Amino acid sequence: MTAAPLTAADYPLSINHPELLRTPTGKPVTALTMDAVVSGELTAEDLRIAPETLELQAQLAESAGRPQLAANFRRAAEMTAIPDAEVLTMYNALRPRASTEAQLLAMADRLETTYAAPVNAALVREAAEVYGRRRLLADDDADQSAPDSAVTPAVAVDEETRA
Amino acid sequence: MTAVQPRNATGSRQSLRTEVLEERPVNLDGFVEEWPEKGLVAMESDFDPQPSVRVEDGRVVEMDGRERADFDFMDSFIADHALDVATTEASVALPSGQIARMLSDPGVSRSDVLAVTRGLTPAKVLDVVKLMNVVEIMQAMQKMRARRTPANQAHSTSARDNPLQVAVDAAEGALRGFAELETTLGVVRYAPLVAIALQVGGQVGRGGVLTQCALEEATELDLGMRGITAYAETISIYGTESVFVDGDDTPWSKTFLASAYASRGIKMRFTSGTGSEVQMGNAEGRSMLYLEIRCILMAKGAGVQGLQNGSISCIGVPGAVPGGIRAVAAENLVASMMDLECASGNDQSFSHSAMRRTARMLPQLLPGTDFVCSGYSAVPNQDNMFAGSNFDTDDYDDWNTIQRDLQVDGGLRHVREPEILAVRTKAARALQALFAQLDLPAITDAEVEAATYANSSNDYPFRDVLADLTGAQAVMDRGITGLDLVRGLEAAGFHDVAENLLSVLRQRVSGDLLQTSAILTADFVPLSAINDANDYAGPGTGYRLEGERWEQLKQLRHVTSATNPETEVR
Repeated sequence: MTAAPLTAADYPLSINHPELLRTPTGKPVTALTMDAVVSGELTAEDLRIAPETLELQAQLAESAGRPQLAANFRRAAEMTAIPDAEVLTMYNALRPRASTEAQLLAMADRLETTYAAPVNAALVREAAEVYGRRRLLADDDADQSAPDSAVTPAVAVDEETRA
Repeated sequence: MTAVQPRNATGSRQSLRTEVLEERPVNLDGFVEEWPEKGLVAMESDFDPQPSVRVEDGRVVEMDGRERADFDFMDSFIADHALDVATTEASVALPSGQIARMLSDPGVSRSDVLAVTRGLTPAKVLDVVKLMNVVEIMQAMQKMRARRTPANQAHSTSARDNPLQVAVDAAEGALRGFAELETTLGVVRYAPLVAIALQVGGQVGRGGVLTQCALEEATELDLGMRGITAYAETISIYGTESVFVDGDDTPWSKTFLASAYASRGIKMRFTSGTGSEVQMGNAEGRSMLYLEIRCILMAKGAGVQGLQNGSISCIGVPGAVPGGIRAVAAENLVASMMDLECASGNDQSFSHSAMRRTARMLPQLLPGTDFVCSGYSAVPNQDNMFAGSNFDTDDYDDWNTIQRDLQVDGGLRHVREPEILAVRTKAARALQALFAQLDLPAITDAEVEAATYANSSNDYPFRDVLADLTGAQAVMDRGITGLDLVRGLEAAGFHDVAENLLSVLRQRVSGDLLQTSAILTADFVPLSAINDANDYAGPGTGYRLEGERWEQLKQLRHVTSATNPETEVR
């Protein structure tokens, strides 16, 4: 790893800095060859991005004046440790009225302690705070006489038709 | 929308000219009066808030006339994640006319504009773009789009969800120049087979094409994680809290999802567009463009690299009101002036009139955008499962001619028949071989032959749908990944296709495609707003259609030879 933060001239890393790129399994990117695929040496795990690489991309985004994009990459770097299924579960738990405040706070704790993901934990705690204020926690449905509006995500704009 | 009959209620005599005009396709389109109280208004509404911002202790405490205590979740998210707190008060204090002039003046650099726009509140952005006519919007777009080189995106779908059709039309589309290909389904359970077909077909047509399959969020992410798709786009966001919640998401869930994609090295963009809130019944009395600007700022705050907008699946709504298509051009500009990649609509079909369809795309084609269409139909519209597109395969030659007439690059090119037939056959053979390798339902030689010469899904033999659906389920149950596709193609002797696909998958490890506006060239060079940053600064600068690319675009199906007028140029 270079000590100085990367700048725009270092992009694209796949061409200018392949030596900086490793898979999460520790293989250099140059090891991702057809021979290695055919011999069964590579698994799907080898075709993932490593947290260190996301940090490099965050530096590039920062140097290009895109702090939000950099923050996204840093959350992503933390998330590389979380298994696919749990990422999906956590996403679903963040949907409106899907979780109680206690559930969201427990999820934030898990992010912080199990996955060393403080930036994501902060995002979830912020969501818990806003959901509480905007009545979007799972508890909030209990004291409403109207039928559960969270079950049917209403009308019209079908995700699959948004081309 | 379809217009309501009868037109001549009085029964009085009509002129013959009126009869002719009544029969014109444009009169099948729907047009409605504005109704600002309900948000049925493009961008000029007395009910939109006035710009304001106040920062205390490094925190936005008032935005667009609302105190923090009264913020809905969109306000909260934008105030805390999108606005640059250090500059917002100064930027909002600038006269809107001055900011509008900076946008359309080529003498002001893109980065100087961004230094101001990153502090603008939604109402201030609206106040600025309201001052701009459609030519000024285009002039600004030419400078503000993030990537220097414009590109285009296609749909490849099938009315029968026939994977073979999706593969060969993807191959032809890639060969014609689309940088991204997108599919979706009639029967959702077909998704794994169709997504595989798109991925394989795309890599036959031109190495480095990126593919995606539009599905419900969680399923779309699943296919991406498996390496069967290369990017994601149908991550919908909305401009009012109530509609966002109806869509079963929040800015926080969508932000988490954005990071989830990046954590697997997968490119993604959000989707939004004018008209969606009023169509879903809760615009909260705001104009379409104001609500779309909130979406754009939310996307920026989430740190997602880009946005598909330009009304998209709600185009009938802005298309029906005065100034609606101007508002659509403005929403594309706002995405670009927020430094996001913009896949700029010209997507779902909206008019019966060929003239209107063409006029609708000029504000994107002429200045160039990151993706002029975020879904040009690379299949006949009858096969387009995104409810049709503004342009389809029938329009290929028209599109190419317009590029040549105006000397603009809309991302496509004319390709001669033998080359097209060759990639179609090869894509069909590759998919046939891969299905055999993976023990998926067979593709017959008769199907390959039909696919080579087909136009629409009607031209293919019927497939055994039940067997296909069983096969599709098996793809998921067996945990087939992109790597299995590479292995299968290699084992079947399609080495170059396998190598192309492996190169696309390898990109995940580098993360280069995560940067703003990234695409891959045919040589697998990532081209993004970092190494291909838009440097337009007036006449003679920026992207110019010239050299080899211009020579390509001079080719059409029929061009008479200058030296021998009896023959056509080949």
